[in-house]
Amino acid sequence: MYIKLEAISKAYGGLWAVDRISMDIGRDEFISLLGPSGSGKTTLLRTIAGLERPTRGRVLIDGADVTALPPHRRGVAMVFQEFLLFPHRTVAENLCFPLQMMKMPRAEIAERLKWIAGLMALTGLEDRYPSQLSGGQQQRVALGRGLVGRPKALLLDEPLANLDRELRQEMEVEIRRHQRELGIPFIYVTHNQEEAMSMSDRIAVIRGGRVEDFAGRAAIYDRPRTAFIAQFIGRSNRFEGTVSPDGSAMDAGGGLRLALVPGARTASFAGSRAQAYIKTEKMSVQPNTVTCRIRDIILRGAYCDYLLDAGGREIFASRPRSEADLARGDRVTVSWPAEAVDIFEPDTPRELAA
Amino acid sequence: MTRKRLAGLAFLGIPTVYLLAFFVLPLLSMAVLSLWRTENYHIIREASLGNFATLLTEPAYRTFLMRSVVMALSVSALCIAISWPVAYAIMLYGGRYKLMFSLALAVPFLTGEVLRVIALQGLLGPMGIINATLIRMGAAPLRFLMYSNVASAVGLVYLYLPISITVIYLSLSNSDARLVDAAKIFGASPVQAFFQVTWPLNLFGTMIAAVLCFIPCLSTTLVPRFLGGPDGTLYGMALSQQFGESGTWALGAAMGVVLFAVSIAATALAFRLDLRRTGYSGLGRS
Repeated sequence: MYIKLEAISKAYGGLWAVDRISMDIGRDEFISLLGPSGSGKTTLLRTIAGLERPTRGRVLIDGADVTALPPHRRGVAMVFQEFLLFPHRTVAENLCFPLQMMKMPRAEIAERLKWIAGLMALTGLEDRYPSQLSGGQQQRVALGRGLVGRPKALLLDEPLANLDRELRQEMEVEIRRHQRELGIPFIYVTHNQEEAMSMSDRIAVIRGGRVEDFAGRAAIYDRPRTAFIAQFIGRSNRFEGTVSPDGSAMDAGGGLRLALVPGARTASFAGSRAQAYIKTEKMSVQPNTVTCRIRDIILRGAYCDYLLDAGGREIFASRPRSEADLARGDRVTVSWPAEAVDIFEPDTPRELAA
Repeated sequence: MTRKRLAGLAFLGIPTVYLLAFFVLPLLSMAVLSLWRTENYHIIREASLGNFATLLTEPAYRTFLMRSVVMALSVSALCIAISWPVAYAIMLYGGRYKLMFSLALAVPFLTGEVLRVIALQGLLGPMGIINATLIRMGAAPLRFLMYSNVASAVGLVYLYLPISITVIYLSLSNSDARLVDAAKIFGASPVQAFFQVTWPLNLFGTMIAAVLCFIPCLSTTLVPRFLGGPDGTLYGMALSQQFGESGTWALGAAMGVVLFAVSIAATALAFRLDLRRTGYSGLGRS
């Protein structure tokens, strides 16, 4: 593996910000570290960069142990959330900074500058100062500065958090394209699941300094391994109840029974308390029956969220807008396939407190 | 007239009037006085450039001015050289005591300037703590500390160091330390990161600190009077004598005009740097 993290731990004032995280990352992978704020994902990224020294564990890049190396001798580059462009340097000087530090010959620097300015659509802006650029242009300079030195890996710390939605989606496509073309690993820290989903090959969900799961993006979304992932990724309805002794269904109270897919996993919950998550888009909504009442409809563009009132219980269902012509107050039934139910052990009080 | 324009007028107008009344007018009256003459404590209103001719031709005044400029330059340079490590250390290692340290810098201002200079005389003079201790130990006293230009320089550094440290500290604490992280990530060693990022970004603050030391040093009268020796007369001291003992006010006014011109020239020289090169963002988007 190209980048190897071996049981990285980082203590801050008696707390483990990062707790024994191990990861293997391939040479051409796009990895996202996805987690809520304070989960330790940025600390982990800064540890890979060398800006933090791990309390325990090792960082290996391209087979070499770099744990003790300062950042400027690791050959990785980084894109920061606040861009952190040098305000006293022009766009060209910002872009060339990594090359100057490498003591690259002048002619080659000029060539690289031309290449990166073209790649990042910054041609013509080379003599501007960062304060004279728009947010998107600053972002491109930051990305260009990260890529111009052909680093061994590019680390991105929530680089799109300060951009508006439209620009962010544009940049997502662009960043992914550059990663493909340059063939170096990108490690992308974000708390935004949409960003992680749209770009990554694999996603590591981080919570409380530990990796909840590290898997392909489809697997993370479709087959959440823990209750935390089920509620953190995508939008879900949560049910709590008791699984029947034969493991075929869960009684969620109020006459609501969730059919479960038979199998070893559901069998292990037979007869015990459990919580279940169902993604809102797995719910289908049909008119002219009496189970639920549409309390509200939230338009999300191509689809809409129905807030359903099922005998006092709130259920969200996301459906394409074209599917049915429903209005607030309509009575509908809501249903879902048994495969859509992800079942977990109930939250322990300790986790609730966390 | 709109509210906004009224507010603008009030905010800019009041200070403008104040400056005109208490700064520009006295300065103008000085300039006028510098063209007149004083004889036997009487002002004679005949316009001529005689005073300036005296200042140019009389070697003593040229010496005083040159000595003052050299003194002010050395003192500002020393202040900057001492301030940077101190301010930087407070930034890096001050932790939660940062504020306390930076406030402690203001403590010397709680006493008057005269008191501080006299206290220093007690330290550096022939019977001061340093030399008295040396003599008692049987060693030779340090002559260069007794009533000399070195003693004056020590005194001036002591007087203006709190200002320069405070200014540089403020500059440092307002500049984004994460830019140093960025520089390191992109291959800069700690030393390179300092000279590529920290230094240029705080050059503006450093210049302000230097000018704030330079200008008062140029016109200082107290320090050379108490600490300077026979060859320690500085320009400001000579200037104040014109208004005091010798009663040659017009010549003093001319000296003041020259001092003002030198100060303006020095400041202009210091701020010839391209502000954008210091990351100064007050220029706005252009």
